[in-house]
Amino acid sequence: MWRFLGTRIATGALTIWVTTVLVTLLIHAVPGDPVQIMYAQSQGTTPEQIEEVRRSLGLDRSIPVQYLMFMERLFQGDLGNTIRGGQPVLDVILERLPNTLVLACAAMLIAIVIGVPIGFLAAYREGSLIDTGLMILAIGGISMPHFWLGLMLLFLFALELGWLPVSGNGPLNLILPAMTLGLSNAAIFARLTRSSMIDVMQQDFVQTAYAKGLPKSLVLRRHVLRAGLLPVVTMMGLQFAFMMGGAIVVENIFSWNGVGRMAVEAIFQRDYPVIQGFILTFSIVVVVVAISIDALYAVLDPRIRRS
Amino acid sequence: MTMATDMRSRSASPGFWRRMLRSPNGVVGLAIVLTLIFCAAFADVLAPYDPSKMGTGGRFLPPGGEFLLGTDEFGRDMFSRILHGSRITLLVGAVAVGISLTVGMLVGMVAAFRRGWIEAVLMRGTDVLFSFTETLIALSFVAVLGPSLQNAVIAVGVAGIPFYARTCYSAALVETSKPYFEASVAAGAGPARLVFVHLLPNVLPTMIVVATLGVSTAILAAAGLSFLGLGAQPPTSEWGYMLAGSRDYINRAPWLMTIPGLAIAITVLGFNLLGDGLRTSIDPVERR
Repeated sequence: MWRFLGTRIATGALTIWVTTVLVTLLIHAVPGDPVQIMYAQSQGTTPEQIEEVRRSLGLDRSIPVQYLMFMERLFQGDLGNTIRGGQPVLDVILERLPNTLVLACAAMLIAIVIGVPIGFLAAYREGSLIDTGLMILAIGGISMPHFWLGLMLLFLFALELGWLPVSGNGPLNLILPAMTLGLSNAAIFARLTRSSMIDVMQQDFVQTAYAKGLPKSLVLRRHVLRAGLLPVVTMMGLQFAFMMGGAIVVENIFSWNGVGRMAVEAIFQRDYPVIQGFILTFSIVVVVVAISIDALYAVLDPRIRRS
Repeated sequence: MTMATDMRSRSASPGFWRRMLRSPNGVVGLAIVLTLIFCAAFADVLAPYDPSKMGTGGRFLPPGGEFLLGTDEFGRDMFSRILHGSRITLLVGAVAVGISLTVGMLVGMVAAFRRGWIEAVLMRGTDVLFSFTETLIALSFVAVLGPSLQNAVIAVGVAGIPFYARTCYSAALVETSKPYFEASVAAGAGPARLVFVHLLPNVLPTMIVVATLGVSTAILAAAGLSFLGLGAQPPTSEWGYMLAGSRDYINRAPWLMTIPGLAIAITVLGFNLLGDGLRTSIDPVERR
């Protein structure tokens, strides 16, 4: 088990390290002079100010020196200042990150609560009309662009029916974005649960359980469900990353004040320190969640726990 | 010569078309995709108006009547815009998947074929990129290159590489351990022959399925970027971009929102169904 987790943690650490390198190089990949581009939109910036910014970003040094400077500041919790407004990037991100995490977790909950039972039901009734119907629904759900689903939910529940607020950051505001993100992913969970359950139902140990004369409900609960949910747990890490990615779009539809909305604004404003901070934060969150889920998986699966 | 028969039986999988035509998903998917290709190819002929000409009709004319799908805020004909949009959408899907597929297959096959440190470096690199997630890679690319449809397509294509590389690697690895492959190595076949004659045709069926399903992912991702304003720029009739523009008129002209969204959903559904049908037809074991 520790060997399994050790590999995962090592890959995770490698990912974050590569991110720091890429984030430093990112600004150099920009065609043209990044500092000029960053300030192209604000009028009346003097050449002295531009030189000052270049120095403060360390762009007048060689790339390895820049990387070391970046890492040194990073370990002090300094991600630089935003180009617009000059606030510390870390503060801006930490202020919004909880909103994104709340959204992603709520969406994950919705996806699991809706998707897993549907998948289980379809597997239980494999080949029946219910199964076919549910799977048509699922493939439709997967094909639905979440930005379109979001707009339609907004139109229906906020504008036409007036049940929910259009935008903002209260608890009621969470419902629509979380539904948007959750419903798109529920379909993925449904398909995954179904195929995993069908696999398990054909295993020898399930046949044995039936042969022992156990009632069907007990076999399903104790043998099929437990084993069948394992691949679903493994997928949760990847799904969470999808949620974080999807949050970027959904936050923009519902003006949810998270890091995704911040990132898109930063791209428009060419605010590179914010973009760098976002990429780094995003990959750290995804890596940490993936490792936690792998740990959960290791605890749940006796084959790994005892290895 | 047993090798040749072995390969033929695999790649031309007898009964492929029979199974394909018997799978409802595959048939519906194929019909949708063919219709789309038809619309894209003949958009110039089929479209009643110039898609970017303003004031073709009045502003915000509802669907029905002279303008089949209504008009937008500039009085442009929505039907013509949707038709021309299909061209962009298919092109976006094809180019993005083309990038992911070419580079991904190259990486996957080289890793499976060369083994040793090359394999370790390529596959660990792929693992790292994979954990970045496609969204982040695409967004970073657009952040660097700047928002445009072309950059969005490149971004989506590059973002897909790790997934294609992984899939191709595992498919190729299975082949390299089969007796026919080992026999060919023992018979002294060169690397080019091994890769192009043995490996490539045998990983191709898997990769075609993955690529078909991948077209829908790529179209969704690129439309998402355009929706955020990071892809197609005005006056393009790209569906994601059209959808983004509809937000301001959501109450006044809801069809501006429903129609492009529906177009994206149907296209994506078509490729998903086709991919599903192909998978069950190519690999009968994977019937589920």
